[in-house]
Amino acid sequence: MKSVGLISALIYTGISVVAAVLFLVATLGGEYTLVERLGGIAWVFILSMIILMPVVTPLVKRRLRPQEKVEELAHH
Amino acid sequence: MPTETKHLRKINLRVAGMTCASCVANTEKALGDLPGVANVTVNLATGKAAVEYDPAKVTLAEMQKAVADIGYEVVLDRSHLQVTGMHCASCVTNIEQAVGELPGVKKVVANLAMGSAEVEYVADVTPLSQVKKAIQELGYGATEKVEGAEALDREREARQREIRRQRLNLIISGILGLIVMLGTFQPYWILPNIIPAWLNNKVVLFFLTTPVVFGPGRQFFINSWNGLKRGVTDMNLLYATGIGAAYLIAVINTFWPDAGFGGREATFYEAAALLTAFIILGRYLEAVTRGRTSEAIRRLMKLQPKRARVIRDGQEVDIPAEEVQVDDIMLVRPGEAIPVDGIVTEGYSSVDQSMITGESMPVEKKVGDEAIGATINKTGAFKFRATRVGKDTALSQIIKLVEDAQTTKAPIQRIADLVAGRFILGVHALALVTFLFWFFAGFALWFDPLSRLMLTPYPITAVGAFGFALLVSVTVLVISCPCAVGLATPSAIMGGTGKAAEYGILFKGGDAIEATSKLQVVIFDKTGTLTRGQPSVTDVVAWQQMKKDEVLRLAAVAEKNSEHPLGEAIVRGARAQGLEPEDAQSFNAIPGHGVTAQLDGRTILLGNRKLMAEQQIAFDGMLPEAERLESEGKTAMFVAVDGKLAGIVAVADTLKETSAQAVADLHRMGLQVAMLTGDNRRTAEAIAKQVGIDRVLAEVLPENKADTVKKLQSEGYRVAMVGDGINDAPALAQADVGIAIGSGTDVAKETGQVILIKDDLLDVVAGIQVAQATIRKVKENLFWAFGYNTLAIPLGMGVIYPFTHQVVSPELAALLMATSSLSVTLNTLRMRGYIPPIRRRGGGQVATSLQPREVPA
Repeated sequence: MKSVGLISALIYTGISVVAAVLFLVATLGGEYTLVERLGGIAWVFILSMIILMPVVTPLVKRRLRPQEKVEELAHH
Repeated sequence: MPTETKHLRKINLRVAGMTCASCVANTEKALGDLPGVANVTVNLATGKAAVEYDPAKVTLAEMQKAVADIGYEVVLDRSHLQVTGMHCASCVTNIEQAVGELPGVKKVVANLAMGSAEVEYVADVTPLSQVKKAIQELGYGATEKVEGAEALDREREARQREIRRQRLNLIISGILGLIVMLGTFQPYWILPNIIPAWLNNKVVLFFLTTPVVFGPGRQFFINSWNGLKRGVTDMNLLYATGIGAAYLIAVINTFWPDAGFGGREATFYEAAALLTAFIILGRYLEAVTRGRTSEAIRRLMKLQPKRARVIRDGQEVDIPAEEVQVDDIMLVRPGEAIPVDGIVTEGYSSVDQSMITGESMPVEKKVGDEAIGATINKTGAFKFRATRVGKDTALSQIIKLVEDAQTTKAPIQRIADLVAGRFILGVHALALVTFLFWFFAGFALWFDPLSRLMLTPYPITAVGAFGFALLVSVTVLVISCPCAVGLATPSAIMGGTGKAAEYGILFKGGDAIEATSKLQVVIFDKTGTLTRGQPSVTDVVAWQQMKKDEVLRLAAVAEKNSEHPLGEAIVRGARAQGLEPEDAQSFNAIPGHGVTAQLDGRTILLGNRKLMAEQQIAFDGMLPEAERLESEGKTAMFVAVDGKLAGIVAVADTLKETSAQAVADLHRMGLQVAMLTGDNRRTAEAIAKQVGIDRVLAEVLPENKADTVKKLQSEGYRVAMVGDGINDAPALAQADVGIAIGSGTDVAKETGQVILIKDDLLDVVAGIQVAQATIRKVKENLFWAFGYNTLAIPLGMGVIYPFTHQVVSPELAALLMATSSLSVTLNTLRMRGYIPPIRRRGGGQVATSLQPREVPA
């Protein structure tokens, strides 16, 4: 179960970071203050995390669950 | 506990219905043939199948189906859980998802309106403690549901605790929120004259808002975090992000005004405080009103008598009602509630049964009559013997049935579930899109520094692109309302099933209500449904010098030993005329013809034309009379004595008082009405004409009834079959809606999706009317819920801003959201006063004034 959580967290955090970076890149073309850029990055990151967490976690769980069981049993 | 080797799991399934060794072999083969099943061992004595399987290749549902396909049943454990803390449709989806993912769980249905979850599972694989843990990990409370009065008490306590908690939260957030609002708007209108200027100080506002956000608002942050940890989102997350964002910006602008978030003029303390207050107001009102939607079941539970007076060793002993045993003799005095079900053994009284059967008039009770537990004894005292106690009483069965019905989902709910399940994510995605749009494009194109928040004098001059885009984005989160979508269907289904139960009409589920509301054709079985099912003598015609009484007496003598319903009717008819038939010296029944009997050396014949012809009786003279009687739908039987014709006795069943009125009302509602009978077409049409039925399905053998229903369905009709729940079971099962009528109080045994306790056809009409009203209410609720979100979300996204230069403030969004959720609950509560039109017109009273009419047996 731990690996599901970890892999999911890596995926959704990674995508959210990418979204935030893309936001930052997009602001470079306009006249925005640093605070506006930072605030925007934070908000895009938070919303992306919220959107992705419940989507990614079940997907990873579905993919990894049978595999995990085999590993758990082998460990026992 | 299941054991596991490599990728295989082992479970013990309880299989019901196995009686012999071949059952064992069949079950082993059915399960063994499934892909992924490695080994099956079935034990007939214990009724268990030990299955070793690969969970990646075969599911529990597939195993269950394989066993069901060969005629047995995998018996699953079933638990009712009381779930606290559910507030919106997403909570339902989250619980169903989390529990449904557990191995060994076949089905889970969470009910927002009832605050419960019903789980079907294999305890051997997943114990109940694990199911509860999965729910608790999401941040909800889960306890095993108790039944009866204890359940009522616990449920009430839990609800009152929630009401008290939210009331306290509301008081704190409401008072502080109001002060924060007054402080924020202090410089405007006449407020400078009333409100001291220091209250507008941002630091003061900070100290006033912080306890609101971290006190009453804390629940949203904790619950959403619990959900996120499990990868699920719910309504709390919308609130938490909304409140959190407004508060954070306000804090930054207070303590770091030059940070670039709009400065001291762009603090949203009042937004954070009032947002919290309005959300809690919504929660409080919901907690208060939601309890009322389940009032019907609560009222039924309240009926359960607490004490019983049992006669033991000739003494009256007062004991708790749950300690009464079957066969105990009890005494009931006037005004007392009957503690359990039983049979009257001594005394006479009238009993008010309205609470169970919906019958408005008290029912007379004499020795041998059934006494129903929880009904009220009115006039005399009587003793009765307990026949059903505890969970077997009529009241317990009804409560169970209504509860089960309220936990099932109507098909119409699927669309709401589908939307609600994805709602929170969708709204967050919309909030992100909205933010990006206003940040990169909208602000530069349309922002007006003089623009205001809707319905406030508060300008948003100081905010920059980020502040404005964030404000609109937060408003989108707050204004959306999945609660209304989630509550729309279950609350109305609860109201409808409860309302129907008040009239003695029991729907077995939300799907039954929906199917009933869509009916096009209602088929009535004739005997025992449209008619009383008890034939009686209608005409006696004497031939030449014979007297009518003599004809009837002779017929009764011939039939005295008969067990045929027609024979019994003749004997009853004779006794009603004061004629006591003598015992015949001999009696012979000739199937398909009639009977012959000997009395004091005389030979009596009673039967049809065939019998008369075979015995060479001249009966032509009475043929016109026989044909006349038959054209009226009566069964004419010839009587002959010593080789000579004596007369005719005609027998017919009688229509129930309410049959014609029920048919007329169904026609008025636009439904087709058909009658199903084994009678010949001429007779059947005669009865149909009397009762006003337009379609006759005659000459149908009992075993072909289901096929006849199927034929109508194949014509494209949605069909209800009304009949006796036991004899007509196959036809009831085949119909889109099987309506079992006159089941009495043993409702658990009945087939059919709708059970009518009383033997009154008007309840068929009332049932359809309640179902239609319920589904109408569901549609109204869904219209409100979807309509609100369709209008409110674009409004929150700032669609009208380019034209009006006004944006919805987060606090106004919260108020709108709370109102929307409340409107659905209040709309459902209107069902409490609903009376089916047939009962509004005093259907019962009108019906009893009708004269019974005669139809053939």
